[in-house]
Amino acid sequence: MSYVDAGYVVALLGLSGYAVSLLLRERAVSRRLRPGEGKVREIGASAGAETPAPADRSP
Amino acid sequence: MWRDAALVAGKDLRIELRSKVALNQVVPFAVVVVILFGLAIGQAAPPAGAASGGALANATVLRAAGAGLFWVAVLLSTVLAVQRSFAVESADGARDGLRLSGLDPAGIFLGKAGATAAELAALEVVLGLAAALVYGIHPAGLAMLAGAGALATVGLAAVGTLYGALSSGTRVRETLLPLLFFPVAAPVLLAATKAFDAAIAGTPAAGTTWLEVLAVFALAYVALGAVAFGPLLEDA
Amino acid sequence: MTALSRRRALALTGWLAVAAVAATVWLGLWVTPPDENMGDLVRLLYLHPPLAWVAFLAYGLSFLASVLYLWPRTRDLRLDRLAGASAEVGVVFTGLTLVTGSIWGRPTWGAWWTWDPLLTTTALLFVLYLGYLALRRVPGDPAGRARRSAIGALVAFVDVPIVYFSVDWWRSLHQAPSISLASRKMYVHGSMAWTLLLGFLAFTLLYAWLLGHRYRIARLAEREESSVLELALAERRDEAVEGAPAPVPADAVTGGGPGSPGVEMTPAGRSR
Repeated sequence: MSYVDAGYVVALLGLSGYAVSLLLRERAVSRRLRPGEGKVREIGASAGAETPAPADRSP
Repeated sequence: MWRDAALVAGKDLRIELRSKVALNQVVPFAVVVVILFGLAIGQAAPPAGAASGGALANATVLRAAGAGLFWVAVLLSTVLAVQRSFAVESADGARDGLRLSGLDPAGIFLGKAGATAAELAALEVVLGLAAALVYGIHPAGLAMLAGAGALATVGLAAVGTLYGALSSGTRVRETLLPLLFFPVAAPVLLAATKAFDAAIAGTPAAGTTWLEVLAVFALAYVALGAVAFGPLLEDA
Repeated sequence: MTALSRRRALALTGWLAVAAVAATVWLGLWVTPPDENMGDLVRLLYLHPPLAWVAFLAYGLSFLASVLYLWPRTRDLRLDRLAGASAEVGVVFTGLTLVTGSIWGRPTWGAWWTWDPLLTTTALLFVLYLGYLALRRVPGDPAGRARRSAIGALVAFVDVPIVYFSVDWWRSLHQAPSISLASRKMYVHGSMAWTLLLGFLAFTLLYAWLLGHRYRIARLAEREESSVLELALAERRDEAVEGAPAPVPADAVTGGGPGSPGVEMTPAGRSR
């Protein structure tokens, strides 16, 4: 492989690798945020029946 | 502000005089570093058939590199000195005391940096003698040496104190401070080494540009530190 | 700008970036002619300087955001988020700049590393970035962390011109000039010039896209952090006041609008 090819490969692989990692991280964080809403509801329920339902949760 | 600075500097120096930590630990550390460099560089086996020629060759290398090695040792010692400078505050909530004392934060910065600079200056004298001995350097152009040394020390103390404050509240301060400090201190290392080289080579005038670099660095970071220290202190 | 239109704009930027980068690669590798002196090696011209430009751009943006954050009138945690995101993307580009610079240097001058002032400054930039990112990871309340990071960015940034000047002066003393990639007088014309320009544009677009996503990750992570905190507090309240209804933090997860700063959990919300 010539030096030029090596340079292009490294640059493109590096950038796409980083891009993919970003997209994966974003998905992971969003996914972790979603189940959290379920937890909030649990706590509200366990605190007693009189607890008002959690406010409207829009995505 | 200057009165506050003198107050803080006096306090730090008095603590040092009483505890002698810098004297007992940082100075020996620096001297050991100088010696270790000598071992590492002067150690190569002489080429076959060159006998004493080989030994002389390495001595030449050491002499040529001596100024740089000296300054590397100073840089390493600065990290220790700064860590010590902030360690004295972390005991017994001294930090909060400092914050609430109503002293001008810029003054506190100047005081701490000043004390560190003074300690470093003393260290450099000792270290300079050690380096001259171990590396076989004959110091010349003393004015350039003193000027460059002073400016470099002020700059290093300023950046060090600033970064020290940034990392002092944290648990990772031991590894964070060197990581932050060394890259920023790189131009000081370069400029001070070159200035020293010029002085030792007997052409101190060649070092004047480097003096300017050191001056700019020192000025920039003393100013930045004075301004930025206030908001930093508020940080718990 | 609504969240949806922002999402669309980001996606559009992404596609444009991909197209532009692809075009640059195609032009760079196949369409443009080899250089009279360098031969095919000139093709790295379409990569290395654009990557370097983005590295410095990212750094500059990080610095700017930090300065604005420290200025009381424009203090906003979003700026801190931007500074951090730009720095991380910048590290990637800086690293790639160094690698491509090294790859370019090896066949050109026979060495993997040259003390070229620009390259050396870039190397220092890399380490400065790493220190800054390490500083950002120190745990603490958002405002304190932001302030520390902003000052860190300032301290590092002031150093960069000093470094550049020092190394430049040092190199100029030691050898005949123009052994550096930067100072070389290259005659770039015709398709080479256009490809180079496209390269700058393409990588800037890519930077913008990466920045957008990294910023979003930062925002989501902050939200997660504050919602975890809210949950912990709610649970604690639960334990403390047994049986009494625990007030459910209504916006624990939904947060404010997409652009709002993270929830400030500490009294450090005072401004200076």
